[in-house]
Amino acid sequence: MTTDKYFKILPNSAFIHTSGSHKALSEFFDNEKNWGESEVKVGRAWKLDELRIKSNEDLHKLWYVLLKEKNMLLTMEHAAQEENRLFPNPERIDKVEESMKNLEDVVKERNRAYWLLETGETGERPSSLIEDELGREVHKMFDEHPVPMDHESEDTISKWQDVRNFQRLMKEKEFLEKRRALRRVRSHVCKLLRRFPDVDMEKLQQQYPEVDVQALRKRKDSRGHHDKNLS
Amino acid sequence: MPRLTRLLRNVSDMTKQSSNLPEAYIKRAMDQVEWKTPNAIQYRQTEIKRRKFRFTTNRPWTQQFRQQNQPGTHRKKVFLEPVPEWTFFKGDRVEILVGEDKGKQGLVNYIVQERNWVMVDGLNCHYRYIGKKKGFPGMMVKSEAPLLVTTQVGLIDPSDGKPTQAEWRYTEEGEKVRVSLRTGRIIPLPKLAEETPDYKTKSTYKVQEKDTSADQLTSITFEPQLKTFAMEIAEKMGIKEDRIPRKSFWY
Amino acid sequence: MSSRLYPIYQQGNPQLRIFLPNFFMKLVKPSDPQPPNVVQFIVPVQMTRYDIKNYLEKIYSVPVENIVTHVRMGKFERNFKGYIIKKDDYKVAYVTLPRTEKFVFPDLFPENKQKEADKELEKIDTLKAEWDASIKRHKHRQGVPTWFGL
Repeated sequence: MTTDKYFKILPNSAFIHTSGSHKALSEFFDNEKNWGESEVKVGRAWKLDELRIKSNEDLHKLWYVLLKEKNMLLTMEHAAQEENRLFPNPERIDKVEESMKNLEDVVKERNRAYWLLETGETGERPSSLIEDELGREVHKMFDEHPVPMDHESEDTISKWQDVRNFQRLMKEKEFLEKRRALRRVRSHVCKLLRRFPDVDMEKLQQQYPEVDVQALRKRKDSRGHHDKNLS
Repeated sequence: MPRLTRLLRNVSDMTKQSSNLPEAYIKRAMDQVEWKTPNAIQYRQTEIKRRKFRFTTNRPWTQQFRQQNQPGTHRKKVFLEPVPEWTFFKGDRVEILVGEDKGKQGLVNYIVQERNWVMVDGLNCHYRYIGKKKGFPGMMVKSEAPLLVTTQVGLIDPSDGKPTQAEWRYTEEGEKVRVSLRTGRIIPLPKLAEETPDYKTKSTYKVQEKDTSADQLTSITFEPQLKTFAMEIAEKMGIKEDRIPRKSFWY
Repeated sequence: MSSRLYPIYQQGNPQLRIFLPNFFMKLVKPSDPQPPNVVQFIVPVQMTRYDIKNYLEKIYSVPVENIVTHVRMGKFERNFKGYIIKKDDYKVAYVTLPRTEKFVFPDLFPENKQKEADKELEKIDTLKAEWDASIKRHKHRQGVPTWFGL
């Protein structure tokens, strides 16, 4: 075993000179005519509906086409960065990634359908809304364990006082943030009214439903440098 | 918070549609992330990045846009009259209502929805210098100045050739059409409206080297089977597996 | 062979198979001189040597003899506001092909195409040169239109 590690016996085929791997590795690079080009045109990404009509085998093949394309683009992007040169059409990477995401979504859809039909569960990673230690509602993704949960070894020290204090502060913070946000919208609408006295009030109300535009129109902040002021 | 994000204006639908670029790319090209937590489980993911952008005639993914929104700079807020339904498209005939070219009609050739701007081909022009250097005043070029869609231009009603307000309505067949408010006639969308850097119209798109052909794209090869993706592929590859996974617990 | 969540290992479970691997591999120019049969890659940090071997052999059908990987620390930079930021770590893989194989990193930016791109940039330079020449010719009547000399 030890000799094998240090003096590897060459397989028979190794004596024949080939450039097979060189050809395979060229898949990491773009087509030679695109080297140094400033623009490389491509189509768009695969859409969900287009992938839904394809068989699993086709999707499996397409995945590897996309994966190779992504590797090629990342390689070319890296090379361009190293040489301080322009990488033509960088949106190609996003197009490939979008296609891959859509493909994975379609596969998930099909798997979910199978599991729901067979077991009544989605077969995906379980998660649920739980109350965390600070009494907040959070969305927790569960982890897989070989043994069931041990409820006895859980922390039994009561923290209700701390939790209540925290909750009070959190509520106050949320309230203040909400109030600030509303004030920001109100002042924005006032400034709009000041600048555009002839604005369509209905449209404005439609766009900012949380404030009363007619009431804001009468405010002092809405007075502009024109003769259409109400107050 | 939807309320906060709405005040920070984002890249408009018109810009996305006319560029034909994936949304992820526009976002990535615009991003100015100052600082970000490492991508690891012990960090609560946060980032500091630029939220307010000054939109101009330069498109958000270009180098010029980045120059105009350089990191560390702050520009004054621009107030815009709300335009809930956008009715101007590339190739539309419009009349200019203000300025030197008041009363002239022309075709829309550039739209910046983020600023309620349109540019009219060859009208409302100004001269500017490009390539200015020390000891060289630059080259003088003529370029169109943007016009506000709310007050400065009017869409031409094709029935009488006069400017009008327009609105989106539905026909009895359920088709969404642009209607002149003054005469109630339909204003058809120009052919140039769907123009992108990749094609003039969708039907005249030139197929590129790596594109999938239309036949391959539309052929239906899916046959529903009572198998998961992994099961079907494993079977096709001749992988046999009869071990049953042990029970595990999720919590 | 993916960065998604794996099922936990329990004895007697079916073999873990990944049908849709989502790892990327970037082939990069060797940072240091390497033997002709060594290829350098940048891979995700989670990717192991076995993953890389399988990936190259199954997807690209490249014979692999040996793999050495290192996790390289991302660079520290000071940003424009003055505080220090660190870039993400990355993994470098040195893949040894069989002794008979040879790989040379191609010249991805050929010179002749570069010259074409430069010509566009030179346009403005030629205009500037013309301007300079005209300024020089009319040195003694500055600020006067050119037809004045007729």
